Amino acid sequence: MQNILVSLNEATRTVNSGSNKVTLLDNINFNVEEGEFISLMGPSGSGKSTLLNCIGMLDNFTGGGYTFLGEPVHSMKEKNRSKLYKEYIGFVFQAYHLIDELTVYENIETPLLYKNVKSSERKAMVADMLDRFNIVGKKDLFPIQLSGGQQQLVGIARALIGQPKLILADEPTGNLNSKQSEEIMELFAQLNKEGVTIIQATHSESNAAYGSRIINLLDGKIV
Amino acid sequence: MFKNYIKIALRNLWKNRTFTVLNVVGLTAAFGVAILLAMYAVFQLSFDRFHEHGDALYMVYSEDSTPNGVEANISKSEPFAAALKDEVAGVEKITRYVSTGVLLSQEDKQFGMSTAYVDPDFFNMFSFPIIKGDKTNPIASESSVVMTELATKRIFGDEEPIGQTVSILRDEQQVPFTVTAIVKDSPNTSSMGFDIVLNFKSQNEHAYARTIGRWDMENHEVYMQLAESVQPKQFEKSTTDFTQLHYKNEIDNAKRDGFQPNTDGLYRQLKLLPLADVRFANFNQGPVTVSRTMPYLVLGISTLILFIACVNFINMSIAKSAQRLREIGMRKTLGANKKQLFFQFWGESILVFLISIGLGILLAVFLLPYFQTLFKTQASLATLLNPSLLLVLILSVLLITLIAGGYPALLMSRLGTLQSLKGKLDVNGKNHLRNSLMVLQFGIAILLISGTLVLWDQVEFMRTKDLGFNKDQVIAFPLNGQLNDQQAIELLRNTLQDKPNIVSVTASNNILGLGKDGSRSTSVLGFEHQGRGVETHMVVVDADYIETLDLNIIEGRSFRKNLASDSLSVIINEAMAKQLNEDDILASQIDLDDAVYSVVGVIKDFNFQELDQNIAPMTLFALPNWNLRNAYVKVSSQNLEQAYTDVKAAWNTIEPNAEFQGSFLNENIDRTLRHERTMITMIGSGSILAIILSCIGLFAMSLLIVAQRKKEIGVRKIVGASVSAITILLTKDFLKLVVIAFLIASPIAWWAMHNWLQNYAYRIELNIWMFLGAGGIAVVIAMLTIAVKTIKAATSNPVESLRTE
Repeated sequence: MQNILVSLNEATRTVNSGSNKVTLLDNINFNVEEGEFISLMGPSGSGKSTLLNCIGMLDNFTGGGYTFLGEPVHSMKEKNRSKLYKEYIGFVFQAYHLIDELTVYENIETPLLYKNVKSSERKAMVADMLDRFNIVGKKDLFPIQLSGGQQQLVGIARALIGQPKLILADEPTGNLNSKQSEEIMELFAQLNKEGVTIIQATHSESNAAYGSRIINLLDGKIV
Repeated sequence: MFKNYIKIALRNLWKNRTFTVLNVVGLTAAFGVAILLAMYAVFQLSFDRFHEHGDALYMVYSEDSTPNGVEANISKSEPFAAALKDEVAGVEKITRYVSTGVLLSQEDKQFGMSTAYVDPDFFNMFSFPIIKGDKTNPIASESSVVMTELATKRIFGDEEPIGQTVSILRDEQQVPFTVTAIVKDSPNTSSMGFDIVLNFKSQNEHAYARTIGRWDMENHEVYMQLAESVQPKQFEKSTTDFTQLHYKNEIDNAKRDGFQPNTDGLYRQLKLLPLADVRFANFNQGPVTVSRTMPYLVLGISTLILFIACVNFINMSIAKSAQRLREIGMRKTLGANKKQLFFQFWGESILVFLISIGLGILLAVFLLPYFQTLFKTQASLATLLNPSLLLVLILSVLLITLIAGGYPALLMSRLGTLQSLKGKLDVNGKNHLRNSLMVLQFGIAILLISGTLVLWDQVEFMRTKDLGFNKDQVIAFPLNGQLNDQQAIELLRNTLQDKPNIVSVTASNNILGLGKDGSRSTSVLGFEHQGRGVETHMVVVDADYIETLDLNIIEGRSFRKNLASDSLSVIINEAMAKQLNEDDILASQIDLDDAVYSVVGVIKDFNFQELDQNIAPMTLFALPNWNLRNAYVKVSSQNLEQAYTDVKAAWNTIEPNAEFQGSFLNENIDRTLRHERTMITMIGSGSILAIILSCIGLFAMSLLIVAQRKKEIGVRKIVGASVSAITILLTKDFLKLVVIAFLIASPIAWWAMHNWLQNYAYRIELNIWMFLGAGGIAVVIAMLTIAVKTIKAATSNPVESLRTE
């Protein structure tokens, strides 16, 4: 029996735009089990990114229930919520969002700093990660000196360094060419095999195919 | 973690070099100048605070009812001090005090010494520690002299001074004195400055022997130490009987003449002025007012300058945070909490502040010598090195860093994760803050500029005002040699009479303006006239006084050449004539105790005192063998420099050992404006710095705004906006702020300057142009500052600015 990682029950998000109430996510119901690799698909504006952000606790559902590892996120305080996602969730972005002023090494190290990991441990973990992604030679470069694919590699390394249970990837290959895309998707498949749960949002059928399950969204609803 | 912060802070500062440099330059200048100004203010405020018993030391003065209302009188009579101690409870110790200059000789050398004549209690009251010799009562004897270390060094070099004999010129005789003790040089925050201290009774006959037992001759100050258990107010009350007893005549006369009593209903009341207040007290205009406005004004200016620099920092930090939104968002996603972000950004600010403070201190050290010369002050950075003061300084620096660095950091750490990741920033609220801060900055700058303009106008007015005497052609100098005054003047006349460029020579016992030697005296005479009390300034003059100074005689005649025949004649000024209120003024006489004097002439009023006072009644006497003190030489208007050299040479042949301290009267007048000039320089340099700093801020803001609106500018150009339209668009927002600042600051400046001008009996009228001028200066400078950037942005190719999207 697999553990249920994420459970959404009638999860809804509405925002006010002027005097109109706009529903971004409409009664979403689904569970994510540990070890799954889910692809969220849908056209622009269908709510993929909003759903990812809400699952990643960067944003909140305005209605319904959200349970993460059995804990009710919807009724949690901000502080506990941030503790939860710091511990279990890693993010990968379309635009990489590396910190320009930090080197590859330091970018990967940053999450550990915020988790107060000891210096010696940090060194070992970052070194491992650099090895694993074959970017040891680039550790002292700044993001601007890397290609897009390499930057995303660093982004993934940074997401993984905290040993999260869940990786949320928002159009991770959106800014990459097809060859780089393929490499990144291979990497995700590999990570998934090693036990990391992944939810990705994507436009691309071929990328979606890497997942174990596809969820289609349209106008904030699962179709 | 910490290393990480430092690293990213340094990289960020480097990446935004322009702004870092603008910030550091602004803050360095502000801190440097603020340190100097604070040092100056603290130095001024710490005057006379070093005395161990300082809290119990007071100057005794009285509030006297006079025809001009209640006036403060700090001069006391010979029996006063002793009587007060005997008759009124609460006087712990008391001393009389006279500060003057004497000529001291040792072997064949002569020294001009500034001298304090005091009673023996002096050394027990004031903290001028004796380091050598008789430590208990060094001036018990009338032939003892106490010297400072510095004076000892000047006179004796390395010889042992104790027990040595020196002679001091007194009543034209060399009188021997024995050195009994050496005191430490007084701190430079002491108002009492002296080279030697003598017993009060060692004064010349005129100042002491003649006054013994006389309550009506007041010629020295009195300081007392109040008993611990007594409150000053209580003491003042308890002196009523004493005053009634010893000043019965004066009080009765004041009542008879209908003078106004003081606020307590008394016609003469003794008052105590705390020692630390003496330096800040004004005794010239009615009851004593103590005002520390000047040092606090200086402190205020330094605070304003720091404020302006901090506003720049806050504005730039907030505006720049737009460029760091992604970093903030990312850090939050990676698990940073608000506190961690706050400390990161605050840390960066602290770094900038630490660098600036360090450089500011260096700047202050570098500028110190110039500052000391410019403001003629001995204040040094050591003034600030007092533990409690240092604590205050450190705390205020921390507070500044906390606010200036902390506020932007707080704003940044509070941003929502998603918004910042998307690079969206809600800017409306912050623009209000930015705009109000900039209005404040420019308001302060305009305030200071208009203050400078008004001050400068007033000083120019006072400097160039027709004072009623010839100040351009007359050289005055103190008769500071060994000869008696009459002999000296006689010799001077003889030496100079053949010189074609010398017009006339005279002397008088007062000085117009402030001479090079810095000493001044006034004699005020009170007597009865037609059954009323009358007061007049008394000036004793030599022949040709009226002619030398080009005073205008409006009635009667001048003194005769043969002065001796006029020894019972007086010449009065208009104010005095008005006071005497006679139908035929030339037939009137004034009756002093010793003789009756006839009024032989009336001269037009001239400003013999400073311009903060109205012209007081004055009487010129031609008394023989009187102490004359100052010589006046009128020279022809061609080649004034040569004339000065001639007079100097003449004096040097007459008194080879005395220093020639002559200066033209207009320089003397200038010297009396020193206080105002210091204020102009302070406020003026403050205003220059304020406008520069404000413009640094404005420049930085224009850089950022232009960068932020690059796309908008591009779009506007594509749809057809002209270069000038875009320049106006970008400039007008800023100009609006300067105009608002002007509207707010001008009334405040008007009010402040109006109040300040009330201190002067002769003053300029404020006019709107001074304030418009200040506003205009601010607007022009602000426009020039932003012009460069905005015109460049307006002329740039729109394709370039749009391509970045």
